Amino acid sequence: MLIRRRQRPSEAKPDYAIATADLGVYYDLRFTKKTTIRSSFAEMIGRGRSRHFWALRHVNLMVQRGESLAVIGPNGAGKSTLLQVLAGIIRPSEGAVDVNGHVSGLLSLGAGFDKELTGRENILLGGAFLGLEDSTTRELLPSIIEYAELGDFIDAPLRTYSAGMRARLGFSIATAIDPDILLLDEVLATGDANFRAKSKARVIEIVAAAKAVVLVTHDMAWVTEYCNRALLIEHGAVVMEGEPAEVVEMHQAHTEEARARTAEAAKAAGVDPRIAPIR
Amino acid sequence: MIPFRAMSATSEVPAAFRNAAGDRGPVRLVREGIGDIRSRRRLVRYLVQADIRKRGADTLLGNIWWVLDPLLQMVVYVAFLSIVVRNGPPDYPLFIFAAILPWKWFTASVTDATTSIVRQDALIKQIQFPKIVLPVAAATAGIVSFAFGTVALGILMVFFSDRISWYLVFIPVIAAVQYVFTLAFSFLVAAGNVFFRDLSNVIGHVLRLWWFLSPGLYSLAALDQVHFIQANPWVRTLVNLNPFAILFEAYRIVIYGTPTGPPSAPDMAALTGLLVASIGFLALTTYIFKRLEPNFAKII
Repeated sequence: MLIRRRQRPSEAKPDYAIATADLGVYYDLRFTKKTTIRSSFAEMIGRGRSRHFWALRHVNLMVQRGESLAVIGPNGAGKSTLLQVLAGIIRPSEGAVDVNGHVSGLLSLGAGFDKELTGRENILLGGAFLGLEDSTTRELLPSIIEYAELGDFIDAPLRTYSAGMRARLGFSIATAIDPDILLLDEVLATGDANFRAKSKARVIEIVAAAKAVVLVTHDMAWVTEYCNRALLIEHGAVVMEGEPAEVVEMHQAHTEEARARTAEAAKAAGVDPRIAPIR
Repeated sequence: MIPFRAMSATSEVPAAFRNAAGDRGPVRLVREGIGDIRSRRRLVRYLVQADIRKRGADTLLGNIWWVLDPLLQMVVYVAFLSIVVRNGPPDYPLFIFAAILPWKWFTASVTDATTSIVRQDALIKQIQFPKIVLPVAAATAGIVSFAFGTVALGILMVFFSDRISWYLVFIPVIAAVQYVFTLAFSFLVAAGNVFFRDLSNVIGHVLRLWWFLSPGLYSLAALDQVHFIQANPWVRTLVNLNPFAILFEAYRIVIYGTPTGPPSAPDMAALTGLLVASIGFLALTTYIFKRLEPNFAKII
Protein backbone atom coordinates (compact mmCIF):
# COMPACT_ATOMS: atom_id res chain seq x y z
CA MET A 1 0.00 0.00 0.00
CA LEU A 2 3.01 2.24 0.20
CA ILE A 3 1.95 5.00 2.47
CA ARG A 4 4.31 7.89 2.32
CA ARG A 5 3.77 10.01 5.35
CA ARG A 6 4.09 13.72 5.13
CA GLN A 7 6.89 14.88 7.32
CA ARG A 8 5.78 17.17 10.05
CA PRO A 9 7.98 20.22 9.75
CA SER A 10 8.74 21.00 13.38
CA GLU A 11 9.45 17.48 14.50
CA ALA A 12 12.28 15.14 13.82
CA LYS A 13 11.43 11.75 12.39
CA PRO A 14 10.55 9.44 15.26
CA ASP A 15 12.85 6.47 15.71
CA TYR A 16 10.05 3.94 16.05
CA ALA A 17 8.39 2.22 13.10
CA ILE A 18 4.95 1.72 14.59
CA ALA A 19 3.28 3.13 17.66
CA THR A 20 -0.26 2.87 18.86
CA ALA A 21 -1.88 4.62 21.78
CA ASP A 22 -4.99 3.22 23.38
CA LEU A 23 -6.01 1.81 20.03
CA GLY A 24 -9.52 0.45 19.71
CA VAL A 25 -11.59 -0.82 16.80
CA TYR A 26 -15.22 -1.72 16.90
CA TYR A 27 -17.48 -3.25 14.30
CA ASP A 28 -21.02 -2.03 13.98
CA LEU A 29 -23.10 -5.17 14.01
CA ARG A 30 -25.94 -3.47 12.19
CA PHE A 31 -23.90 -3.45 9.04
CA THR A 32 -21.78 -6.56 9.14
CA LYS A 33 -22.19 -9.00 6.30
CA LYS A 34 -25.18 -9.26 4.07
CA THR A 35 -27.33 -6.46 5.35
CA THR A 36 -30.54 -6.09 3.47
CA ILE A 37 -32.68 -3.01 3.11
CA ARG A 38 -35.49 -4.78 4.93
CA SER A 39 -33.41 -5.74 7.95
CA SER A 40 -32.06 -2.20 8.23
CA PHE A 41 -35.57 -0.81 8.28
CA ALA A 42 -36.47 -3.31 10.98
CA GLU A 43 -33.47 -2.09 12.95
CA MET A 44 -34.40 1.54 12.49
CA ILE A 45 -38.02 1.11 13.46
CA GLY A 46 -37.44 -1.40 16.22
CA ARG A 47 -34.55 -1.33 18.59
CA GLY A 48 -32.61 1.61 17.32
CA ARG A 49 -29.75 0.83 19.65
CA SER A 50 -26.54 0.26 17.84
CA ARG A 51 -24.64 -2.81 18.83
CA HIS A 52 -20.91 -2.56 18.78
CA PHE A 53 -18.40 -5.32 18.84
CA TRP A 54 -14.98 -4.33 20.06
CA ALA A 55 -12.50 -6.31 18.01
CA LEU A 56 -9.60 -4.52 19.67
CA ARG A 57 -9.37 -2.28 22.65
CA HIS A 58 -6.72 -0.44 24.65
CA VAL A 59 -3.82 -1.62 22.54
CA ASN A 60 -0.56 0.16 23.24
CA LEU A 61 2.44 -1.01 21.34
CA MET A 62 5.66 0.26 19.97
CA VAL A 63 7.74 -1.43 17.31
CA GLN A 64 11.27 -0.19 16.78
CA ARG A 65 13.12 -0.35 13.50
CA GLY A 66 14.75 -3.72 12.99
CA GLU A 67 12.29 -5.43 15.24
CA SER A 68 10.25 -8.46 14.35
CA LEU A 69 7.05 -8.66 16.32
CA ALA A 70 4.91 -11.76 16.39
CA VAL A 71 1.23 -11.42 17.11
CA ILE A 72 -0.27 -14.61 18.45
CA GLY A 73 -3.57 -15.59 19.95
CA PRO A 74 -6.63 -17.75 19.36
CA ASN A 75 -8.84 -17.37 16.30
CA GLY A 76 -11.00 -14.27 16.37
CA ALA A 77 -8.85 -12.55 18.96
CA GLY A 78 -8.32 -9.47 16.80
CA LYS A 79 -4.90 -10.24 15.34
CA SER A 80 -5.90 -9.62 11.75
CA THR A 81 -7.81 -6.50 12.74
CA LEU A 82 -4.62 -5.16 14.29
CA LEU A 83 -2.71 -5.75 11.06
CA GLN A 84 -5.49 -4.09 9.08
CA VAL A 85 -5.25 -1.00 11.26
CA LEU A 86 -1.47 -0.89 10.90
CA ALA A 87 -1.85 -1.25 7.14
CA GLY A 88 -4.30 1.66 7.05
CA ILE A 89 -7.14 -0.47 5.78
CA ILE A 90 -9.29 0.15 8.84
CA ARG A 91 -9.41 3.42 10.72
CA PRO A 92 -9.19 3.16 14.47
CA SER A 93 -12.45 3.78 16.27
CA GLU A 94 -10.56 5.28 19.19
CA GLY A 95 -7.00 6.00 20.08
CA ALA A 96 -4.30 6.61 17.53
CA VAL A 97 -1.79 4.85 15.41
CA ASP A 98 1.37 6.23 13.90
CA VAL A 99 3.26 4.38 11.20
CA ASN A 100 6.59 5.63 9.92
CA GLY A 101 7.66 4.33 6.58
CA HIS A 102 6.34 2.47 3.61
CA VAL A 103 4.02 -0.31 4.58
CA SER A 104 3.58 -3.46 2.61
CA GLY A 105 1.05 -5.92 3.76
CA LEU A 106 0.23 -9.22 2.34
CA LEU A 107 -2.20 -10.23 4.93
CA SER A 108 -2.97 -13.40 3.12
CA LEU A 109 -1.68 -14.11 -0.31
CA GLY A 110 -3.10 -13.57 -3.73
CA ALA A 111 -6.24 -11.74 -2.72
CA GLY A 112 -6.27 -9.28 -5.55
CA PHE A 113 -5.48 -11.76 -8.25
CA ASP A 114 -7.68 -12.01 -11.28
CA LYS A 115 -8.06 -15.62 -12.32
CA GLU A 116 -8.54 -14.82 -16.00
CA LEU A 117 -5.35 -12.79 -16.29
CA THR A 118 -1.90 -14.27 -16.70
CA GLY A 119 0.69 -14.22 -13.95
CA ARG A 120 2.53 -11.40 -15.66
CA GLU A 121 -0.61 -9.29 -15.99
CA ASN A 122 -1.46 -9.99 -12.37
CA ILE A 123 1.93 -8.66 -11.31
CA LEU A 124 1.27 -5.44 -13.21
CA LEU A 125 -2.25 -5.19 -11.78
CA GLY A 126 -0.99 -6.00 -8.28
CA GLY A 127 1.68 -3.33 -8.58
CA ALA A 128 -0.96 -0.81 -9.66
CA PHE A 129 -3.12 -1.75 -6.68
CA LEU A 130 -0.14 -1.32 -4.38
CA GLY A 131 0.41 2.14 -5.81
CA LEU A 132 3.67 1.47 -7.58
CA GLU A 133 4.69 3.40 -10.65
CA ASP A 134 4.20 1.22 -13.71
CA SER A 135 7.86 1.63 -14.67
CA THR A 136 8.88 0.38 -11.22
CA THR A 137 6.70 -2.69 -11.54
CA ARG A 138 8.12 -3.43 -14.97
CA GLU A 139 11.63 -3.12 -13.60
CA LEU A 140 10.79 -5.53 -10.80
CA LEU A 141 9.03 -7.94 -13.14
CA PRO A 142 11.97 -10.26 -13.96
CA SER A 143 13.04 -10.64 -10.33
CA ILE A 144 9.46 -11.29 -9.20
CA ILE A 145 8.97 -13.96 -11.85
CA GLU A 146 12.27 -15.58 -11.03
CA TYR A 147 11.65 -15.53 -7.29
CA ALA A 148 8.18 -17.03 -7.67
CA GLU A 149 9.65 -20.00 -9.59
CA LEU A 150 6.78 -20.06 -12.04
CA GLY A 151 8.66 -20.74 -15.24
CA ASP A 152 6.49 -20.76 -18.34
CA PHE A 153 3.36 -20.57 -16.25
CA ILE A 154 3.89 -16.83 -15.92
CA ASP A 155 2.07 -16.31 -19.22
CA ALA A 156 -0.76 -18.73 -18.44
CA PRO A 157 -4.02 -17.60 -16.88
CA LEU A 158 -4.01 -17.73 -13.11
CA ARG A 159 -6.86 -20.21 -12.97
CA THR A 160 -4.42 -22.85 -14.14
CA TYR A 161 -2.17 -22.24 -11.11
CA SER A 162 -2.02 -24.40 -8.03
CA ALA A 163 -2.63 -22.83 -4.62
CA GLY A 164 1.08 -23.01 -3.91
CA MET A 165 1.95 -21.21 -7.14
CA ARG A 166 -0.46 -18.43 -6.33
CA ALA A 167 0.97 -18.10 -2.85
CA ARG A 168 4.49 -17.89 -4.23
CA LEU A 169 3.48 -15.21 -6.69
CA GLY A 170 1.77 -13.21 -3.94
CA PHE A 171 4.77 -13.43 -1.66
CA SER A 172 7.12 -12.40 -4.44
CA ILE A 173 5.09 -9.32 -5.32
CA ALA A 174 4.68 -8.15 -1.76
CA THR A 175 8.32 -8.56 -0.77
CA ALA A 176 9.76 -7.31 -4.06
CA ILE A 177 8.82 -3.73 -3.32
CA ASP A 178 11.26 -3.47 -0.45
CA PRO A 179 8.99 -2.08 2.23
CA ASP A 180 10.11 -0.36 5.42
CA ILE A 181 7.45 -2.19 7.33
CA LEU A 182 6.18 -5.61 6.37
CA LEU A 183 2.92 -6.96 7.70
CA LEU A 184 2.42 -10.69 7.29
CA ASP A 185 -0.68 -12.65 8.11
CA GLU A 186 -0.32 -16.42 8.08
CA VAL A 187 1.83 -16.48 5.01
CA LEU A 188 4.70 -18.57 6.22
CA ALA A 189 2.66 -21.75 6.11
CA THR A 190 2.05 -21.51 2.37
CA GLY A 191 3.90 -23.21 -0.42
CA ASP A 192 5.99 -26.34 -0.27
CA ALA A 193 8.81 -26.91 2.20
CA ASN A 194 11.32 -25.47 -0.24
CA PHE A 195 9.54 -22.20 -0.75
CA ARG A 196 8.71 -21.97 2.93
CA ALA A 197 12.41 -22.03 3.70
CA LYS A 198 13.01 -19.43 1.01
CA SER A 199 10.31 -17.11 2.28
CA LYS A 200 11.63 -17.41 5.82
CA ALA A 201 15.04 -16.43 4.53
CA ARG A 202 13.52 -13.40 2.78
CA VAL A 203 11.68 -12.26 5.91
CA ILE A 204 14.87 -12.60 7.93
CA GLU A 205 16.61 -10.54 5.25
CA ILE A 206 14.04 -7.76 5.55
CA VAL A 207 14.30 -7.77 9.32
CA ALA A 208 18.08 -7.66 9.08
CA ALA A 209 17.89 -4.63 6.80
CA ALA A 210 16.66 -2.68 9.80
CA LYS A 211 13.08 -2.93 8.69
CA ALA A 212 10.20 -3.75 10.93
CA VAL A 213 8.07 -6.83 10.57
CA VAL A 214 4.77 -7.56 12.25
CA LEU A 215 3.47 -11.02 11.60
CA VAL A 216 0.49 -13.02 12.64
CA THR A 217 1.18 -16.71 12.80
CA HIS A 218 0.27 -19.98 14.43
CA ASP A 219 3.74 -21.34 13.83
CA MET A 220 5.20 -21.14 17.34
CA ALA A 221 8.57 -22.43 16.26
CA TRP A 222 8.94 -19.43 13.98
CA VAL A 223 7.95 -17.07 16.78
CA THR A 224 10.57 -18.30 19.20
CA GLU A 225 13.23 -18.66 16.59
CA TYR A 226 13.01 -15.49 14.54
CA CYS A 227 10.96 -12.90 16.40
CA ASN A 228 12.52 -10.77 19.05
CA ARG A 229 9.22 -9.90 20.65
CA ALA A 230 5.76 -11.37 20.84
CA LEU A 231 2.32 -10.08 21.61
CA LEU A 232 -0.51 -12.27 22.89
CA ILE A 233 -3.98 -11.02 22.05
CA GLU A 234 -7.13 -12.57 23.47
CA HIS A 235 -10.64 -11.20 23.03
CA GLY A 236 -9.36 -7.98 21.55
CA ALA A 237 -7.04 -7.13 24.41
CA VAL A 238 -3.31 -7.47 24.85
CA VAL A 239 -2.77 -10.16 27.45
CA MET A 240 0.98 -10.29 27.42
CA GLU A 241 3.90 -8.72 25.65
CA GLY A 242 7.52 -9.65 25.89
CA GLU A 243 10.04 -12.42 25.24
CA PRO A 244 8.74 -14.77 22.55
CA ALA A 245 9.43 -17.91 24.56
CA GLU A 246 7.48 -16.66 27.56
CA VAL A 247 4.56 -15.38 25.54
CA VAL A 248 4.34 -18.60 23.56
CA GLU A 249 4.36 -20.54 26.80
CA MET A 250 1.47 -18.49 28.14
CA HIS A 251 -0.44 -18.84 24.88
CA GLN A 252 -0.06 -22.59 24.95
CA ALA A 253 -1.16 -22.72 28.60
CA HIS A 254 -4.24 -20.65 27.76
CA THR A 255 -5.03 -22.82 24.76
CA GLU A 256 -4.91 -25.90 26.96
CA GLU A 257 -7.17 -24.24 29.51
CA ALA A 258 -9.64 -23.16 26.86
CA ARG A 259 -9.71 -26.64 25.42
CA ALA A 260 -10.48 -28.11 28.83
CA ARG A 261 -13.15 -25.51 29.47
CA THR A 262 -14.98 -26.03 26.18
CA ALA A 263 -14.95 -29.75 26.77
CA GLU A 264 -16.62 -29.24 30.13
CA ALA A 265 -19.09 -26.48 29.41
CA ALA A 266 -20.06 -27.33 25.86
CA LYS A 267 -23.72 -27.32 26.73
CA ALA A 268 -23.85 -23.91 28.44
CA ALA A 269 -24.78 -21.44 25.73
CA GLY A 270 -23.97 -17.94 26.90
CA VAL A 271 -23.97 -14.52 25.26
CA ASP A 272 -20.66 -13.30 24.02
CA PRO A 273 -19.67 -10.68 26.61
CA ARG A 274 -18.15 -8.51 23.92
CA ILE A 275 -21.56 -7.89 22.34
CA ALA A 276 -22.78 -5.20 24.63
CA PRO A 277 -24.86 -2.10 24.05
CA ILE A 278 -22.86 1.09 23.84
CA ARG A 279 -23.89 3.95 26.04
CA MET B 1 -5.47 9.21 1.66
CA ILE B 2 -3.73 8.57 4.93
CA PRO B 3 -6.21 7.25 7.42
CA PHE B 4 -3.85 7.64 10.31
CA ARG B 5 -3.64 10.45 12.71
CA ALA B 6 -0.17 11.16 13.90
CA MET B 7 0.34 10.46 17.54
CA SER B 8 0.61 13.60 19.53
CA ALA B 9 4.04 14.16 20.90
CA THR B 10 2.91 15.86 24.08
CA SER B 11 -0.04 13.89 25.36
CA GLU B 12 0.09 10.18 25.97
CA VAL B 13 -3.50 9.47 25.03
CA PRO B 14 -4.70 11.50 22.08
CA ALA B 15 -8.31 12.47 21.74
CA ALA B 16 -10.43 9.67 20.41
CA PHE B 17 -11.91 10.07 16.98
CA ARG B 18 -14.88 7.97 16.12
CA ASN B 19 -16.09 9.53 12.94
CA ALA B 20 -14.79 7.57 10.00
CA ALA B 21 -14.60 10.58 7.71
CA GLY B 22 -12.93 12.55 10.44
CA ASP B 23 -12.62 16.25 10.01
CA ARG B 24 -12.53 16.23 6.22
CA GLY B 25 -15.12 18.46 4.66
CA PRO B 26 -17.08 17.92 1.43
CA VAL B 27 -14.76 20.02 -0.75
CA ARG B 28 -11.69 18.23 0.57
CA LEU B 29 -13.27 14.82 0.03
CA VAL B 30 -14.27 15.62 -3.55
CA ARG B 31 -10.77 16.91 -4.26
CA GLU B 32 -9.34 13.75 -2.74
CA GLY B 33 -11.60 11.67 -4.93
CA ILE B 34 -10.38 13.43 -8.06
CA GLY B 35 -6.78 13.03 -6.86
CA ASP B 36 -7.35 9.31 -6.25
CA ILE B 37 -8.53 8.76 -9.80
CA ARG B 38 -5.81 10.90 -11.35
CA SER B 39 -3.02 9.21 -9.44
CA ARG B 40 -4.36 5.75 -10.22
CA ARG B 41 -5.07 6.20 -13.94
CA ARG B 42 -2.92 3.19 -14.72
CA LEU B 43 -4.86 1.00 -12.32
CA VAL B 44 -8.14 2.09 -13.90
CA ARG B 45 -6.70 1.22 -17.30
CA TYR B 46 -5.61 -2.24 -16.21
CA LEU B 47 -8.98 -2.91 -14.61
CA VAL B 48 -10.83 -1.80 -17.73
CA GLN B 49 -8.58 -3.97 -19.91
CA ALA B 50 -9.11 -6.97 -17.65
CA ASP B 51 -12.86 -6.41 -17.74
CA ILE B 52 -12.97 -6.22 -21.53
CA ARG B 53 -10.73 -9.25 -21.90
CA LYS B 54 -12.90 -11.31 -19.62
CA ARG B 55 -16.19 -10.43 -21.24
CA GLY B 56 -14.85 -11.02 -24.71
CA ALA B 57 -13.01 -14.24 -23.98
CA ASP B 58 -15.87 -15.93 -22.19
CA THR B 59 -18.16 -16.12 -25.17
CA LEU B 60 -17.91 -18.23 -28.26
CA LEU B 61 -18.51 -15.48 -30.76
CA GLY B 62 -16.22 -13.07 -28.92
CA ASN B 63 -16.46 -9.55 -30.22
CA ILE B 64 -19.12 -10.39 -32.79
CA TRP B 65 -21.46 -10.97 -29.90
CA TRP B 66 -20.99 -7.38 -28.77
CA VAL B 67 -22.20 -6.14 -32.14
CA LEU B 68 -25.05 -8.61 -32.36
CA ASP B 69 -26.37 -7.99 -28.86
CA PRO B 70 -27.97 -4.55 -29.38
CA LEU B 71 -29.19 -5.59 -32.84
CA LEU B 72 -30.95 -8.65 -31.46
CA GLN B 73 -32.56 -6.59 -28.73
CA MET B 74 -33.80 -4.18 -31.37
CA VAL B 75 -35.26 -7.07 -33.39
CA VAL B 76 -37.18 -8.26 -30.30
CA TYR B 77 -38.70 -4.83 -29.71
CA VAL B 78 -39.54 -4.26 -33.36
CA ALA B 79 -41.17 -7.68 -33.68
CA PHE B 80 -43.15 -7.18 -30.49
CA LEU B 81 -44.22 -3.61 -31.10
CA SER B 82 -45.17 -4.07 -34.74
CA ILE B 83 -47.71 -6.63 -33.50
CA VAL B 84 -49.06 -4.45 -30.69
CA VAL B 85 -48.82 -0.92 -32.06
CA ARG B 86 -49.15 -1.62 -35.82
CA ASN B 87 -48.59 1.91 -37.13
CA GLY B 88 -45.39 3.03 -35.45
CA PRO B 89 -43.16 5.76 -36.84
CA PRO B 90 -41.40 5.07 -40.16
CA ASP B 91 -37.98 3.36 -40.05
CA TYR B 92 -38.92 2.09 -36.62
CA PRO B 93 -35.78 -0.16 -36.20
CA LEU B 94 -33.48 2.86 -36.42
CA PHE B 95 -35.87 4.86 -34.22
CA ILE B 96 -35.50 2.31 -31.38
CA PHE B 97 -31.86 1.57 -31.99
CA ALA B 98 -30.93 5.20 -31.34
CA ALA B 99 -32.09 4.61 -27.75
CA ILE B 100 -30.93 1.00 -27.31
CA LEU B 101 -27.37 2.01 -28.19
CA PRO B 102 -26.80 4.38 -25.23
CA TRP B 103 -29.04 2.39 -22.89
CA LYS B 104 -26.95 -0.79 -23.31
CA TRP B 105 -23.93 1.18 -22.19
CA PHE B 106 -25.71 2.63 -19.18
CA THR B 107 -27.06 -0.72 -17.94
CA ALA B 108 -23.73 -2.48 -18.53
CA SER B 109 -21.90 0.21 -16.55
CA VAL B 110 -24.40 0.43 -13.71
CA THR B 111 -24.81 -3.33 -13.24
CA ASP B 112 -21.07 -3.78 -13.25
CA ALA B 113 -20.50 -0.84 -10.91
CA THR B 114 -23.07 -2.10 -8.39
CA THR B 115 -20.95 -5.12 -7.53
CA SER B 116 -17.59 -3.50 -8.28
CA ILE B 117 -16.74 -2.95 -4.61
CA VAL B 118 -18.15 -6.12 -3.06
CA ARG B 119 -16.54 -8.29 -5.73
CA GLN B 120 -13.12 -7.12 -4.55
CA ASP B 121 -13.83 -7.84 -0.89
CA ALA B 122 -10.69 -9.94 -0.38
CA LEU B 123 -8.49 -7.23 -1.80
CA ILE B 124 -10.13 -4.38 0.10
CA LYS B 125 -9.50 -6.18 3.37
CA GLN B 126 -5.83 -6.55 2.55
CA ILE B 127 -4.58 -3.51 0.70
CA GLN B 128 -5.20 0.15 1.27
CA PHE B 129 -6.01 1.72 -2.09
CA PRO B 130 -8.55 4.27 -3.30
CA LYS B 131 -11.72 2.24 -3.74
CA ILE B 132 -13.15 4.86 -6.08
CA VAL B 133 -11.12 3.42 -8.97
CA LEU B 134 -13.38 0.34 -8.99
CA PRO B 135 -16.65 2.04 -10.03
CA VAL B 136 -14.67 4.32 -12.37
CA ALA B 137 -13.30 1.24 -14.13
CA ALA B 138 -16.76 -0.35 -14.27
CA ALA B 139 -18.38 2.76 -15.73
CA THR B 140 -15.57 3.16 -18.23
CA ALA B 141 -15.55 -0.47 -19.36
CA GLY B 142 -19.20 0.00 -20.33
CA ILE B 143 -18.06 2.35 -23.08
CA VAL B 144 -16.82 -0.74 -24.94
CA SER B 145 -20.40 -1.91 -25.20
CA PHE B 146 -21.20 1.50 -26.69
CA ALA B 147 -18.27 1.35 -29.10
CA PHE B 148 -19.34 -2.02 -30.46
CA GLY B 149 -22.89 -0.70 -30.57
CA THR B 150 -21.77 2.01 -32.98
CA VAL B 151 -20.47 -0.72 -35.28
CA ALA B 152 -23.95 -2.21 -35.18
CA LEU B 153 -25.31 1.26 -35.88
CA GLY B 154 -23.08 1.50 -38.94
CA ILE B 155 -24.46 -1.79 -40.23
CA LEU B 156 -28.03 -0.67 -39.58
CA MET B 157 -27.41 2.68 -41.29
CA VAL B 158 -26.70 0.83 -44.54
CA PHE B 159 -30.37 -0.13 -44.62
CA PHE B 160 -31.57 3.39 -43.80
CA SER B 161 -29.00 5.26 -45.84
CA ASP B 162 -31.31 8.20 -46.56
CA ARG B 163 -31.10 9.13 -42.86
CA ILE B 164 -27.27 9.34 -42.77
CA SER B 165 -26.17 12.89 -42.04
CA TRP B 166 -23.27 14.96 -40.75
CA TYR B 167 -25.15 15.36 -37.47
CA LEU B 168 -23.77 11.93 -36.46
CA VAL B 169 -20.63 13.77 -35.30
CA PHE B 170 -22.67 14.96 -32.31
CA ILE B 171 -22.75 11.39 -30.91
CA PRO B 172 -19.45 11.73 -28.98
CA VAL B 173 -20.68 15.03 -27.49
CA ILE B 174 -23.89 13.44 -26.23
CA ALA B 175 -21.91 10.39 -25.07
CA ALA B 176 -19.63 12.64 -23.01
CA VAL B 177 -22.63 14.05 -21.14
CA GLN B 178 -23.94 10.54 -20.62
CA TYR B 179 -20.56 9.42 -19.26
CA VAL B 180 -20.58 12.08 -16.55
CA PHE B 181 -24.06 11.05 -15.46
CA THR B 182 -23.19 7.33 -15.60
CA LEU B 183 -20.08 7.87 -13.51
CA ALA B 184 -22.01 9.77 -10.85
CA PHE B 185 -24.73 7.12 -10.72
CA SER B 186 -22.10 4.35 -10.56
CA PHE B 187 -20.49 5.84 -7.43
CA LEU B 188 -23.87 5.85 -5.73
CA VAL B 189 -24.82 2.24 -6.48
CA ALA B 190 -21.30 0.92 -5.81
CA ALA B 191 -21.19 2.45 -2.34
CA GLY B 192 -24.83 1.65 -1.65
CA ASN B 193 -24.42 -2.03 -2.44
CA VAL B 194 -21.77 -2.37 0.27
CA PHE B 195 -24.36 -1.48 2.88
CA PHE B 196 -27.40 -3.04 1.25
CA ARG B 197 -26.48 -6.19 -0.60
CA ASP B 198 -29.92 -6.63 -2.13
CA LEU B 199 -29.39 -3.43 -4.10
CA SER B 200 -27.80 -5.56 -6.82
CA ASN B 201 -31.09 -7.47 -7.10
CA VAL B 202 -33.18 -4.33 -7.05
CA ILE B 203 -31.10 -2.42 -9.56
CA GLY B 204 -31.99 -4.69 -12.48
CA HIS B 205 -35.68 -4.03 -11.97
CA VAL B 206 -35.12 -0.31 -11.41
CA LEU B 207 -33.24 -0.15 -14.71
CA ARG B 208 -36.00 -1.99 -16.58
CA LEU B 209 -38.66 0.35 -15.22
CA TRP B 210 -36.44 3.32 -16.02
CA TRP B 211 -36.13 2.14 -19.64
CA PHE B 212 -39.86 1.95 -20.16
CA LEU B 213 -40.43 5.32 -18.47
CA SER B 214 -37.83 6.91 -20.75
CA PRO B 215 -38.68 7.89 -24.32
CA GLY B 216 -36.80 4.99 -25.90
CA LEU B 217 -39.56 3.07 -27.61
CA TYR B 218 -41.62 6.22 -28.08
CA SER B 219 -40.79 9.88 -28.62
CA LEU B 220 -41.63 12.78 -26.34
CA ALA B 221 -43.77 14.17 -29.15
CA ALA B 222 -45.81 10.95 -29.14
CA LEU B 223 -46.14 11.24 -25.38
CA ASP B 224 -47.74 14.67 -25.77
CA GLN B 225 -50.52 13.06 -27.81
CA VAL B 226 -51.53 10.84 -24.90
CA HIS B 227 -54.72 12.07 -23.25
CA PHE B 228 -53.54 11.32 -19.71
CA ILE B 229 -50.42 13.46 -20.18
CA GLN B 230 -52.45 16.34 -21.62
CA ALA B 231 -54.78 16.22 -18.62
CA ASN B 232 -51.89 16.05 -16.14
CA PRO B 233 -49.11 18.44 -17.22
CA TRP B 234 -47.10 17.68 -14.06
CA VAL B 235 -46.38 14.18 -15.40
CA ARG B 236 -44.79 15.79 -18.43
CA THR B 237 -42.64 17.94 -16.12
CA LEU B 238 -41.53 14.78 -14.32
CA VAL B 239 -40.61 13.17 -17.62
CA ASN B 240 -38.45 16.18 -18.45
CA LEU B 241 -36.45 15.64 -15.26
CA ASN B 242 -35.34 12.22 -16.48
CA PRO B 243 -31.77 12.55 -17.84
CA PHE B 244 -32.52 9.87 -20.39
CA ALA B 245 -35.43 11.87 -21.79
CA ILE B 246 -32.87 14.47 -22.85
CA LEU B 247 -30.22 11.91 -23.88
CA PHE B 248 -32.55 9.68 -25.93
CA GLU B 249 -34.09 12.65 -27.69
CA ALA B 250 -30.61 13.98 -28.47
CA TYR B 251 -29.32 10.65 -29.80
CA ARG B 252 -32.48 10.19 -31.83
CA ILE B 253 -32.46 13.60 -33.45
CA VAL B 254 -28.88 13.15 -34.73
CA ILE B 255 -29.21 9.49 -35.74
CA TYR B 256 -32.82 9.27 -36.89
CA GLY B 257 -34.28 12.74 -37.03
CA THR B 258 -38.04 12.90 -36.58
CA PRO B 259 -40.73 10.66 -38.10
CA THR B 260 -41.39 13.34 -40.69
CA GLY B 261 -38.06 15.14 -40.94
CA PRO B 262 -34.35 14.43 -41.47
CA PRO B 263 -31.74 14.50 -38.65
CA SER B 264 -30.80 17.85 -37.15
CA ALA B 265 -28.67 19.29 -34.33
CA PRO B 266 -29.60 18.26 -30.78
CA ASP B 267 -31.07 20.62 -28.22
CA MET B 268 -27.78 22.06 -26.96
CA ALA B 269 -29.43 24.06 -24.17
CA ALA B 270 -30.97 20.90 -22.72
CA LEU B 271 -27.68 19.00 -23.07
CA THR B 272 -25.72 21.79 -21.41
CA GLY B 273 -28.24 21.88 -18.58
CA LEU B 274 -27.91 18.13 -18.15
CA LEU B 275 -24.12 18.37 -18.19
CA VAL B 276 -24.11 21.00 -15.45
CA ALA B 277 -26.59 18.99 -13.38
CA SER B 278 -24.56 15.81 -13.90
CA ILE B 279 -21.35 17.49 -12.78
CA GLY B 280 -23.15 18.64 -9.63
CA PHE B 281 -24.51 15.12 -9.14
CA LEU B 282 -21.02 13.71 -9.67
CA ALA B 283 -19.58 16.00 -7.00
CA LEU B 284 -22.34 14.90 -4.62
CA THR B 285 -21.87 11.18 -5.21
CA THR B 286 -18.07 11.51 -5.04
CA TYR B 287 -18.54 13.12 -1.63
CA ILE B 288 -20.93 10.36 -0.52
CA PHE B 289 -18.55 7.68 -1.77
CA LYS B 290 -15.49 9.18 -0.09
CA ARG B 291 -17.44 9.68 3.08
CA LEU B 292 -18.46 6.01 3.23
CA GLU B 293 -15.16 4.61 1.91
CA PRO B 294 -13.38 4.17 5.28
CA ASN B 295 -16.15 1.78 6.39
CA PHE B 296 -15.92 -0.56 3.40
CA ALA B 297 -13.18 -2.81 4.80
CA LYS B 298 -15.12 -3.37 8.01
CA ILE B 299 -18.46 -4.14 6.41
CA ILE B 300 -17.53 -6.21 3.39
